[in-house]
Amino acid sequence: MDRRTGRVVAAALAGTALLAMLVAGGACQAMAPVPATSPPPWNPDADERPNPTGAVRSSTPATPAPRQHEVWVIAKPTATTAVDAVEEMVVSSNFNRRALTESAPSPNSLKLRQTAGEARSAAPVAWDDQSIGTGAMLASFPARAHIGARQYVPLPLEHTAVNAAIEGHISTVAVNQRFENPFDTKIEAVYLFPLPEKAAVGEFLMVIGERTIRGIVREKAEAEEIYRQARAQGYRASLLVQQRPNVFEQKVANIEPGKTIEVDITYFHTLAYKDGWYSFVFPTVVGPRFNPPDPTDRLGAVRRGSHRDTTAAVEYLAPSERSGHDISIRVDIDAGVEIEDLKSTHRVAIERPSSTVASIALENEKTLPNRDFVLDFRVAGETVKSTLLTHRDADTGRGFFSLMLIPPRGPSDVARHPLELVFVIDASGSMRGRPLEQAKEAVATALDRLGGDDTFQIIRFSEGASRFGATPVRATPANIARARAYLADLRSGGGTYMVEGVKAALDFPHDPARLRFVSFMTDGYIGNESDILGAIHGRLGASRIFSFGVGTSVNRYLLERMAKTGRGVVAYLGLNDSARVVMGDFLDRISHPVLTEIEFDWGDMRVADAYPHATPDLFVGRPLVVTGTFTGEPGSVTVSARAGGEPLIVAVGSDHADRPSLAKVWARERIAELADRASWAGDPGGELKDTITTTALAHQLMSGYTSFVAVDSRARTAGDHGVTVYQAVPVPNGVRYSTTVD
Amino acid sequence: MKRLGCILAIALAALADAAEQADAPHAPRFVPVDIVLDSPEPVAAWQFELTDRNGAIKIVGIENGESPAFDRAPYYDRDATQGGAVERVVVADYTLADEAELPQGRTRIATVHVLVADEANFVVTLVAAATADGRPIDASISLVLATDAKRRNRWTEEPAA
Repeated sequence: MDRRTGRVVAAALAGTALLAMLVAGGACQAMAPVPATSPPPWNPDADERPNPTGAVRSSTPATPAPRQHEVWVIAKPTATTAVDAVEEMVVSSNFNRRALTESAPSPNSLKLRQTAGEARSAAPVAWDDQSIGTGAMLASFPARAHIGARQYVPLPLEHTAVNAAIEGHISTVAVNQRFENPFDTKIEAVYLFPLPEKAAVGEFLMVIGERTIRGIVREKAEAEEIYRQARAQGYRASLLVQQRPNVFEQKVANIEPGKTIEVDITYFHTLAYKDGWYSFVFPTVVGPRFNPPDPTDRLGAVRRGSHRDTTAAVEYLAPSERSGHDISIRVDIDAGVEIEDLKSTHRVAIERPSSTVASIALENEKTLPNRDFVLDFRVAGETVKSTLLTHRDADTGRGFFSLMLIPPRGPSDVARHPLELVFVIDASGSMRGRPLEQAKEAVATALDRLGGDDTFQIIRFSEGASRFGATPVRATPANIARARAYLADLRSGGGTYMVEGVKAALDFPHDPARLRFVSFMTDGYIGNESDILGAIHGRLGASRIFSFGVGTSVNRYLLERMAKTGRGVVAYLGLNDSARVVMGDFLDRISHPVLTEIEFDWGDMRVADAYPHATPDLFVGRPLVVTGTFTGEPGSVTVSARAGGEPLIVAVGSDHADRPSLAKVWARERIAELADRASWAGDPGGELKDTITTTALAHQLMSGYTSFVAVDSRARTAGDHGVTVYQAVPVPNGVRYSTTVD
Repeated sequence: MKRLGCILAIALAALADAAEQADAPHAPRFVPVDIVLDSPEPVAAWQFELTDRNGAIKIVGIENGESPAFDRAPYYDRDATQGGAVERVVVADYTLADEAELPQGRTRIATVHVLVADEANFVVTLVAAATADGRPIDASISLVLATDAKRRNRWTEEPAA
């Protein structure tokens, strides 16, 4: 029944009793309304335990447990009504889905909604296409009150399937999201999810049964307006918007009851490489972000069902809740050389058709998506070579290339310079528990490795910043012992004002006799990335920034950009990794001379628009990837540099295979560099925005200013549009819900 | 009372729908444009161009056709939706399916979903059609609009050059 009809019926039913029968053979009880202005009586930090009543939340203590075949109805609060929130509907374990859809009289559900409204307000429920969460829904889904020990919550996203193909150091990844409407009225599904921060999203399909509709990339405002019109007129439509370089918002409008709409997204990206290991990462959940007071660019973290406005926010499931969303991942590797070893953060099944090919898949295709999937593979050591990949556009003749320069393995024997090591530890609420303990152990390991000529400082930040010492202190045994005691006393809590940590780390005089290395230990769960990058760029001076991502689903975009802006490198410390090993390896690399004065002789290639613009220093074991355009013929490239004062020359050849994905990879690098420039230099005239938009449209890529939209104009669904349902997600593994979610 | 309420609701809904149909004929609306290829031989690849001489459309989706041999959404030219006075799209697709599975005769090869702001004047042009071994095919192309869209828009079908 559409909303217009519902209003008429509701008015006709004025004055009915609060309780109502909803299905044959059972009694329906309405949850007592929970005042919209006070938090619901629910303890999300409670230990996981099965709820024998099947209720998602408890209401007032007087509410009895539902009998078999009982259905509870949700009427979500709106911004324009005084109707209080009531609890969600759960079908008991013996309920039959068909019985519900065949026998549930919709007017009864409307009666429940209307009487709840009358109890609080004389004003009619306002129906418009902008209010969040308007409407009442009956959930008609297969009866399963529990998943394991957690309470099942009906949500539209059923499954995400990831299929990746890796060739060389470029991966092509196809992500399929399947949305099914478990309710008896139309819905709009909204889902915020992560992708790798360098993902070049170039393909978008909406799949309805046997029909596939390819989406069109347009300027963001235009795509949003097209989607809004389609949604309002009842057409099935999809919209993909970039909220951050590594966070995307998917909207699917007018999903009819019981129907399924799938979205296929394809992206390309360059794999990370370190010490002989390539790393494929697929992030599965956006970590809850802390947002300093800034009304313009929030990425909120809110409890399920509490999203109130139109700003971007991720809804999180309470620890005792579980939706039906699960994930499957498959990766096919064609390395071209022998694959020596493979390891993953998850349990995987591995097939090896040959020594150079591997197929890896999650063992459990219904894996809970609450931590990043990382697959590392090592190829035969002596065959790892610097590579030059190319592609030429048949229409324009323009060439695109990607050069990966891999320096010689192993630290040099040349003695290192004295260091001034500054550790900046994120002690905010999201770091509570294992993440902070990992960070402490990593810092303690570093302290043990310092020499007598080195100095160090430890800075802690959350709401503000505090220092271990007034100035960096010498790495004497006494100072190191005091520092260990300081680390042991560190506690977590409060917000994540990372700018304060940046200021504390960089706003003091640099010792010219030492190399200042500033190491951030953080999960990166903040919403103001551009402020952080701008602060680093403005204060860097002679320092180098090294970012350690600590946790399972860290903000890789921020961490990678901090390291790039700070001419350093990034490292990741998972909750199950050895902090001593990771930090020890890290120090081995950064403590010795790097490759400097890197220059390229491109041979017969005439290169333009190469990124990064400024060639960074190159640390042993870490590659340098340069992406650009060219005319002429690709051949051998000669790279010259100095290592510890000694000259080094490397010749890099092309395999002459054509790789069309390089065009999008290059465009993505260009967009990223321009966006970084805008974050610290500003863009008052909008020129950077225009260039980003032009580049993205030309290469059909997502960006901060371009979005994908797809509309099925063949048939209108009944009514104008549905109820908006935000796909709630679990907090990342190891993150405390109580300290991170509003 | 309840029955009266339902009758009232249905009547109001019907009135509302009728009012919507009688909206101003040039109000923005979404229209599917079916592209039909008529080929005397099995088709393995094709390319067409669709444009609107009035500049009244925005392309909002491109859908696959009816042949199982072309079961994915076709590709479109990256310059086709860059705005400007006239919006046009070049759409193409190919298949590696066995010849026995290739479409022949009159086949819907794609649907272009558009948002029409005013009265459109569609032009569809067949750029190329080819067999599995790359031979050009002397085929014809046409477009089919939904009934209500036919009342509001014009179209022209042009053969390959």
